[in-house]
Amino acid sequence: MQIHRVVRELVTTKRNFWLAAKSLRVVEDHKGNLEVALDPIGAKPGDFVVTIGVSAARIAAGNPKITTDLTIGGIIDHWDEARWRQ
Amino acid sequence: MKICQVEGTLVATARIGSLQNRRLLVVKERGSSGKQVAVDPVGCKPGDWVIAVGSSAARDAAGSKDYPSDLTIVGIIDYWDDSSGQAGVRADANPPSRP
Repeated sequence: MQIHRVVRELVTTKRNFWLAAKSLRVVEDHKGNLEVALDPIGAKPGDFVVTIGVSAARIAAGNPKITTDLTIGGIIDHWDEARWRQ
Repeated sequence: MKICQVEGTLVATARIGSLQNRRLLVVKERGSSGKQVAVDPVGCKPGDWVIAVGSSAARDAAGSKDYPSDLTIVGIIDYWDDSSGQAGVRADANPPSRP
């Protein structure tokens, strides 16, 4: 699992059937690389989150048929940017 | 499997239900700069060198196939000398030879 920061929401109206109506977020890692993660909990922009990758991401989405490879697993209570970048 | 050093615990109160109340640790993989988060079913302390499994083996290692983990700690390394990059030798592993 990795530590990401939520950048913003992402809206895709025309989408793959197995992405269902799940909400998506643009997240960045400590180097500033952007990725898209599925968000089952409702993280806000600026939140530091734990993201789950590979096949565990599909289980974390609540249904193993959901086609995702990155899912937000939790919002981190206390985290600071300096510790993240170091 | 990856060799990682434990940095500390990670508190995430708002989490998906399937993650349950398992302990999450911030770990640093040996030789890389980035931090990762691992599920800890073993019970590690900060500073411990551990081995962690990734991909779908991490799900089984966390206790069930339905547990959403992609990095799970499976063991604490007893002796690790990081300067040599090898498992350290126990002090009593090589008793002095007799004359």
